[in-house]
Formats: sequence, structure tokens, C-alpha cells
Amino acid sequence: MNNEVLLLFGCGLLLMMVGVYMLVLYRNLIRLIIGVEVVAKGVTLVFLAAGLFRQDVAFIQVLIVTFIIVETVLAAVMLALVVGVHRIYGSLDIRHLSKLKG
Amino acid sequence: MLLWVLLGLLVLLAVGACVFRDLLYVAISLALASAVLAGLLFHYGANIAGVFELSVCAGLITVLFVSTVSMTKDSDQGKETRMGRGFIPLFLLVFIGLDIFIVRWLAGALPEIVPGAGSGSFQDIFWTLRSADILGQVVLILAGVFGISALFRLKAKEKKHE
Repeated sequence: MNNEVLLLFGCGLLLMMVGVYMLVLYRNLIRLIIGVEVVAKGVTLVFLAAGLFRQDVAFIQVLIVTFIIVETVLAAVMLALVVGVHRIYGSLDIRHLSKLKG
Repeated sequence: MLLWVLLGLLVLLAVGACVFRDLLYVAISLALASAVLAGLLFHYGANIAGVFELSVCAGLITVLFVSTVSMTKDSDQGKETRMGRGFIPLFLLVFIGLDIFIVRWLAGALPEIVPGAGSGSFQDIFWTLRSADILGQVVLILAGVFGISALFRLKAKEKKHE
């Protein structure tokens, strides 16, 4: 069982790294939100590994459900902001959001 | 064996979301990754979380992504990455190396699993032990709803002024 926990944890960590790579290197707003979603998938996998390690899958399920709700609301609000940004700037490139500079 | 297949598919689809040029393919790749993650949750007996992952993440969020992509299709995409896509395999190799290093370190640091008493069934935990979470979830959903409606109401007001 310990090997399975480590495998799940390793894959979760790998997904988080891929998501952070997208967040750091991409400029398109939709791709950035997808990067956040990929990180969230990794976090869910690490939650599952923690639940298996504690041998308490029922408890971790509750946390995963709460996390999915957080993730969904976050994605919905961010995508609404993306549509608003597109209406104002006509572009999804983060370099064009220069009006935010003080 | 099934675990290896599911984990391999999950990582491949997540990397696919990073590699594909077309945003529609990226959204579909993310949806498939969610579906595979739901399969993993089912595999370990986390059925309710699996159903949530499948219906909300693979369903609802994908619909939101596809609608946003279609609403912003005519936008200027520009050069999307700070570095060329040729660097992705190189970064992936570095990530895998780093991952193996961390997991090996963790394997030495983890204590042996001691079977615990368990906290009870999903219903017991959700409605009693973690009942405060429900309030947080309701507040969060309301914040999301009001946030989105405020964003679109602002646009309607701006249109009226024009």
C-alpha cells in the first residue's frame, strides 16, 4: 500500500509542476486558468494519497468534494473575468493588460 | 496494472493540455484528465468524490471552458509562450527527475501505515464532523454567483451609456 501512496503522491506532484510550468510560461489567460486546473488535479491526487495513507478514504472524500466546489467557483469567476477582459481589450494576452499598472 | 494505466493516462492528458495549440483540444484534454481522475477515485472507493469529479469537473467546467473559447475565438492570441514549445520535453524530464528525487526522500521519511479507527461513513463526516464546511461551500457558491452577475451587470450598464 505504501508504494501505491508514493506513486499517487509522485503523480500529483508531477501534475502540480506541469500546472506551475503553464502558469509561469504561458501568456494566454485561458491557458493560465487551465494551468490552475491542472494544479488542482494534482492537489486532488495528493489528497487521495493522504487518505489512503491514513486509511480513511471517507474523511478525505469530504475534503475532495469541498475542494471541487472551490475549484469550480474559482474557474467560473476567472472565466467570467476573461470574457470581460476580452470585451475591453480584444485580446487575451496578459501583456496587453497594461491599464492595471499604477 | 489498472493503477499504472490510469496514472499514465492522467499525466499524458495533463501534458496534452500544456502542448496542444488549439484551445478547444486543450479543454477536451483537461476534461478527459478529469474523467481519468474520477476513475482513480472510483478505483479507491471514493465513489461520491468520483461522481463530483466526473459531473462537475469533467462536465460543468468543460462547458464553461468551451463557451469561453467560443466567445473569445476572434481574439489576438499573439505568441503564447515565453519560450518555444521545443523546451516542453526538456522541462518534463527535469520535472520527472525532481519528482523521483522528492518521492525517494519521502519514502525514507514516511512512517509505516498504522491502521486507524476511521472517522465513520461519508454521511457522518459530512453532516456532523465537517458540518461547518457546508456553510463555507454555500457562502462560496453565493460569492461566485454574485461575482459573476456583478461582472455582467457592469457590462450591461456600460452598453446603456454607449
